[in-house]
Amino acid sequence: MNVKKAQSFVTQNAIYIVLVLLIMGIIIYEPSFMSINTLRDVLIQSSTRVIIALGVAFILITAGTDLSAGRVVGFTAVISASMLQIPDYSRRFFPDLPQVQVWLPIVIAIVAGLLCGLVNGIIVSKLNVPPFIATLGTMLIVYGLNSLYFDMDPNQSQPIGGLRPDFTKIGSGFIGEGKYSIPYIVIIALVVAAIVWVLFNKTKLGKNMYAIGGNMQAAKVSGINVSKNLIYIYAIAGALYGLAGVLEAARTGGATNNYGNMYELDAIAACVVGGVSTTGGIGTVPGVLVGVIIFTLINYGLTFIGISPYYQLIIKGLIIIAAVSFDMRKYSSKK
Amino acid sequence: MKKITSVLLASALLGAALAGCGGNNNAKTDNTGNAAKATNSANSGAAGKTPKVGVAIYKFDDTFMTGVRNAIDTAAKGIATVDIVDSQNSQPTQNDKVDLFITKKYDGMLINPVDRTAAGVIIDKAKTANIPVVFLNREPLPEDMKKWDKVYYVGAKAEESGTMSGQLIVDYWKAHPEADKNKDGVLQYVMLKGEPGHQDAELRTTYSIQAIEDAGIKVEKLAEDTAMWDRVKGQEKMAAFLGSHGDKIEAVLANNDDMALGAIEALKAAGYFTGNKYMPVVGVDATAPAVQALQDGTMLGTVLNDANNQGKAAITLAALLAKGETPTKENVGFNITDNQYVWISYKKITKDNVADAK
Repeated sequence: MNVKKAQSFVTQNAIYIVLVLLIMGIIIYEPSFMSINTLRDVLIQSSTRVIIALGVAFILITAGTDLSAGRVVGFTAVISASMLQIPDYSRRFFPDLPQVQVWLPIVIAIVAGLLCGLVNGIIVSKLNVPPFIATLGTMLIVYGLNSLYFDMDPNQSQPIGGLRPDFTKIGSGFIGEGKYSIPYIVIIALVVAAIVWVLFNKTKLGKNMYAIGGNMQAAKVSGINVSKNLIYIYAIAGALYGLAGVLEAARTGGATNNYGNMYELDAIAACVVGGVSTTGGIGTVPGVLVGVIIFTLINYGLTFIGISPYYQLIIKGLIIIAAVSFDMRKYSSKK
Repeated sequence: MKKITSVLLASALLGAALAGCGGNNNAKTDNTGNAAKATNSANSGAAGKTPKVGVAIYKFDDTFMTGVRNAIDTAAKGIATVDIVDSQNSQPTQNDKVDLFITKKYDGMLINPVDRTAAGVIIDKAKTANIPVVFLNREPLPEDMKKWDKVYYVGAKAEESGTMSGQLIVDYWKAHPEADKNKDGVLQYVMLKGEPGHQDAELRTTYSIQAIEDAGIKVEKLAEDTAMWDRVKGQEKMAAFLGSHGDKIEAVLANNDDMALGAIEALKAAGYFTGNKYMPVVGVDATAPAVQALQDGTMLGTVLNDANNQGKAAITLAALLAKGETPTKENVGFNITDNQYVWISYKKITKDNVADAK
């Protein structure tokens, strides 16, 4: 009996066990990895990823997928950065733009992200294009639009720099002093996670989302307006990417049209490791947080101990495949 | 009803797409319009006509090549009519564009290859059509260059950018004895590499360190990782390096400015560049944000790949060849090596000569 219990515990949590072993391996190899600073760095680096992954999670749970996430992040990073440069910078994107209130470009960028999401939602629900294809299309379109914007005179595809300190402070500032201070960006990610948790668990939209992902036909029959809900969900996801793009620009103090490249795949991988099912209907906010943090820990840890980047790719690929295969086993054993 | 809305939506989308394309077309006709005007006026003039040169850039959204492209456009005024096209980072696309140049009977071609090994095929085509060709920024293999005497190459020696970034560190190290934080006489450094396997990344990494060693300084590599030319990744890798090596790091070398700027953000977060805490960081490219960082005193130095002179030399050379003239040092304005090569040198940029990079 106990053996069986242990067995089921191992199947249920196999991925976490593997990952804990991996992290323990890193710590044994390099004991100084266990420190407050590591934790801080990992949390900071996870922050924007969490926001993107939560957006992607919305869509994965409806049994969809979103390949445009990374490019939307890049677009909104460029939009916000282009309007928030210091006045005496030598190469301003808009040479004559006055010093606007810092929130205004941020809101514009988030709205741009929301509109991208809205378009995705309309294409998926009204034109019945499968999400993979729809977002593949918008991924290209958004990158094209971003590149056009980025190439405008007088910028002509030069990296955007010289961002205003009141903007970059959002990405690099913190509350408190010294070792135990809390970066703003981590707080923003936590607030977003809390809001998304409420949306998932306490609202009709959240319930509809799980229902649509679980069985779309059943959801339709039981009177859920599937297309309306899908449009809302894609739009919310888009707004989250928009926020993430703004934070990426603020955190790094710059932006180019290549920002966000392939972030969607990192986000999908983190969601999957965190137990979000790619076949829809299953996924939680804490799961996504854990998935993202594990991925960042491994990224950071492998760099920390100086593993060759080629091996890093192989290890990450193996983790994704292992996560899904364990996941499949978990659910097939339930059935 | 539903059907109608979806049909309407679909057509609206298509309409939008077409409108977008329309915009592009307009832009194109504008260009060709100008080109046509230019040729017309040239034709009507009795003096020798302005040669037409087809220019294929490997990728329009590459930061550096955009600088070169703009320089070509500016320097072409009065000496050649240029038709600049985007090869979209695809060699097959570029070959199609070259075929088009040949079909249009242009007088010369200026090619920035997507893949340097593909130059051989382009040279064969050019030779058959008897259209001289200048290659730019990505050097064809020497055996391909030997196929025809109307083939030239304009570019910079990639290893020089590495050598110069190493020299920037050497200059700092020699002028600032306190840079040797642990007083062991050895320079402990971390390296942020570009895309693994990328020729520039490998050369810059090797030659920057060699330059330091050649200056008689012992080095110890604490860490090296790829940040894929990317600012975000540069910041994240640097944060990890600081986590594992902390104040043991005495210098940061990055294969480009974006990664160097990312590293600077990570260093700022760790308390550097305030008070007495300083870290020499060098990059390559001299982008506008890097110039700003030089002025702020956060970046020690960078190396300028001279886009202006590369573009100017390339189009001048292509125009001369297109007119059937023999290029010399006098009429090109740049030294010609081995009858086929024009080497444009890099420039070291620090706070003191920052104006050169603007």
